[in-house]
Amino acid sequence: MGEIQIGRLLSANSREFLVGCHVSQANLPELGALTRVDLENGLAVYGIIMDISIAEDGFVRQLATVEPIDEAIVRDHRLNRNVPLEIRVLSVGYRSEKQICHLLPPQPPLGLDRLVLCSPSEVVEFTSSGRFGYLRHLLQEPSPLMVEVLAAHLQRAHWAHAQANQADWSQRAVQEIITWLRDDYPTLIRVLHCLADARLFNR
Amino acid sequence: MLTNSKPTNPIGYIVGGGLREALRARLTVSADEVQEGSFVTIYSGNWTFYGLVTNVQLGATDPRFADEQTEQRFPTAIAQSLLGQTLYTNVEILPVLMLERGPELGTEAYRQWREEIDRGMRPEPRILPVKTVPTHHAKVNLASAGDIAEIFGNPEDEMNFVIGYTREAGHAVCINLDRFIQRSAGIFGATGTGKSFLTRLLLAGLIQRNRASVLVFDMHNEYGFDDIASDSGLSVKGLRSGFPARVRVVGLGRGSTIRGQSPDFHMEIAMKDIRPADIELLGGVLNLRETTPTTLEALVNSFGVENWFREFRAMRNGAMIENEEGKRIPAEDSVAAWATRSGVHPLAAEGLHSKLSILFHRDYIVEQPAADSVSEIVCMLEQGQHVILSFGKYEQDVDYLFVSNLLTRRIREAWEKRTDAYRTTKTNEPRPLVIVLEEAHKLLNRELASQTTFSTIARELRKYYVTLLIVDQRPSQIYDEVMSQLGTRISGWLGDEDDIRAVLAGLAGRETLRGMLSHLQPKEEVLLLGWGVPLPIPLRSRRYDDRFWQELSRGKVTATSAKQALQELGFGEAE
Repeated sequence: MGEIQIGRLLSANSREFLVGCHVSQANLPELGALTRVDLENGLAVYGIIMDISIAEDGFVRQLATVEPIDEAIVRDHRLNRNVPLEIRVLSVGYRSEKQICHLLPPQPPLGLDRLVLCSPSEVVEFTSSGRFGYLRHLLQEPSPLMVEVLAAHLQRAHWAHAQANQADWSQRAVQEIITWLRDDYPTLIRVLHCLADARLFNR
Repeated sequence: MLTNSKPTNPIGYIVGGGLREALRARLTVSADEVQEGSFVTIYSGNWTFYGLVTNVQLGATDPRFADEQTEQRFPTAIAQSLLGQTLYTNVEILPVLMLERGPELGTEAYRQWREEIDRGMRPEPRILPVKTVPTHHAKVNLASAGDIAEIFGNPEDEMNFVIGYTREAGHAVCINLDRFIQRSAGIFGATGTGKSFLTRLLLAGLIQRNRASVLVFDMHNEYGFDDIASDSGLSVKGLRSGFPARVRVVGLGRGSTIRGQSPDFHMEIAMKDIRPADIELLGGVLNLRETTPTTLEALVNSFGVENWFREFRAMRNGAMIENEEGKRIPAEDSVAAWATRSGVHPLAAEGLHSKLSILFHRDYIVEQPAADSVSEIVCMLEQGQHVILSFGKYEQDVDYLFVSNLLTRRIREAWEKRTDAYRTTKTNEPRPLVIVLEEAHKLLNRELASQTTFSTIARELRKYYVTLLIVDQRPSQIYDEVMSQLGTRISGWLGDEDDIRAVLAGLAGRETLRGMLSHLQPKEEVLLLGWGVPLPIPLRSRRYDDRFWQELSRGKVTATSAKQALQELGFGEAE
């Protein structure tokens, strides 16, 4: 199965990068999904989708007040708009010579590099490596979205691990998260509530 | 030296603490698997530390985790992970001993270490009082049977006697009988906590192992012949029944019987053996006045040290006659007449005579005993026999104090003589003697302690081969100086703060041991502590029942426990 390209890089720094892409149902990225950017020097940078935003392009403001809007116009607006959909991706690790590392990448991706969605097997491979070090980047994220993104990510990863007969992965992940956050009661409780809503475990 | 006891599964790891305060360990097992008083080992580098759990404490990384019942808010898997990580149990450990065990067995480093010891380049590892602390995260284990045997002795050894079992795992804990009799010892506990059973147990051990002769002042007639337990109604074997050839029961007074049975012989006290000090000792129970010593001194001056009691007894108290002038005056053989002649106040002498009438009428005090009972008792004790002096119908304090002190004084004099002779000739070493004293506070309280032979014996340690085994329910009433001399102390449950303080006096870590003493299970558990034991430890005491006697007759504890202990030590094949 071929890789699903999400978009191309707009800007980047060591911690995160911004990707622009078309609005299309086929490659619509999801919050918390694990993605990858392959650099020319052989490095692959992994990131988790933290935020997706659709900025207005000026034209949509005029269209919004017109009723009815022709379906063809809506499709045209989504496919041919000038302003791309923006995806904020948090760097959570990289691969260098087949070695996965849960540290920040030594260098950020460059402009117009391709962002692709990781396959379930790649998700399993990346998230099984080490001891959940990549979650550290997520937990340090000051955004109020962090808790939701974490739950969404674990939900997706849980599914991927279940497919690979590693059902206990999510239990170990939760334990690791509790270890990191046990001195921060409010955050931990918020995270756990989100994880409960993610229905990773039976009641 | 045994240096490689097989560790059991860890129960936690060290997270803090020090030598002054206790060590703290985080439990990795459920809190109910560890109890206050658990004997634990801590493996840290080349050393094994031995300590005692003195407190179990619940904790939380944030108190809100403890306040909230999170298991109701989250799925079970999340709640369990949360509780496991944020709620925890810490134990406080009193470190007591340490032993160098060297590098890991089988490694090159171990071989070199062992070689250095064999060449005399470093000392043979031995158990030392704790002088340092284990490192952070050092593993904490419940002591195995091998650890217990390493510290308290192998139950198979001749000088070791199993006194009880550890509370969690039931490993046999021994006391070294040779060490036990080196200093006076004490058995304490509130009424009904099993002191008498424990005493019987120990005495049976001493008699069976033949480590010392035993003289029991059996105030309540419970040690010699079989008895019925007051609580269970079951038959309790007496020491005379258990060791018919080695134990002699002596009854106080001619024709006395003990629970309807005849003693082996009767003991009578010759009037000539009574000294003024024997009477002064009874000041409290007889309510004697301050003039008593003066009157007694005058009596000795008048009649001599061997005759004063007989003469005083013969005097008539208040006897009056009329003189030639028809005036009523004290009769010639009256107490008042003697007092007047001797320059003693007649009322003081009459008062003393009146108060001593209780002794004058005791039929165990005779002018001419049928036999020299005291010499017979001394002779039996020297020959390795054991004597239980039952007081029969004379269960009053006055009889107990008077007879036990007088007899002990005579026995000690005999032992002192023999010891001096032994030191001169180096032959015929005196046999160690243990004198068992019930209701010891009556003889060893602050007021009397200085006057009795017992406090002298307690202070002398084993100088004259005589030590005491004090059995008492009010240790706080015993003179501090005597308490401080006690080597081994075995205590059942105590509720009174003063009694607890007295039992723990002079011991390191007494504040932490205090709670342990008050939490003991009455009748079932005891705290073993003091100079005579390597470290304080609460025990499930050994039962004094038929099984005990069967084991004693076989000369061993239980085949399984001993075998298990050896396996734990790394000897023999595991089943």
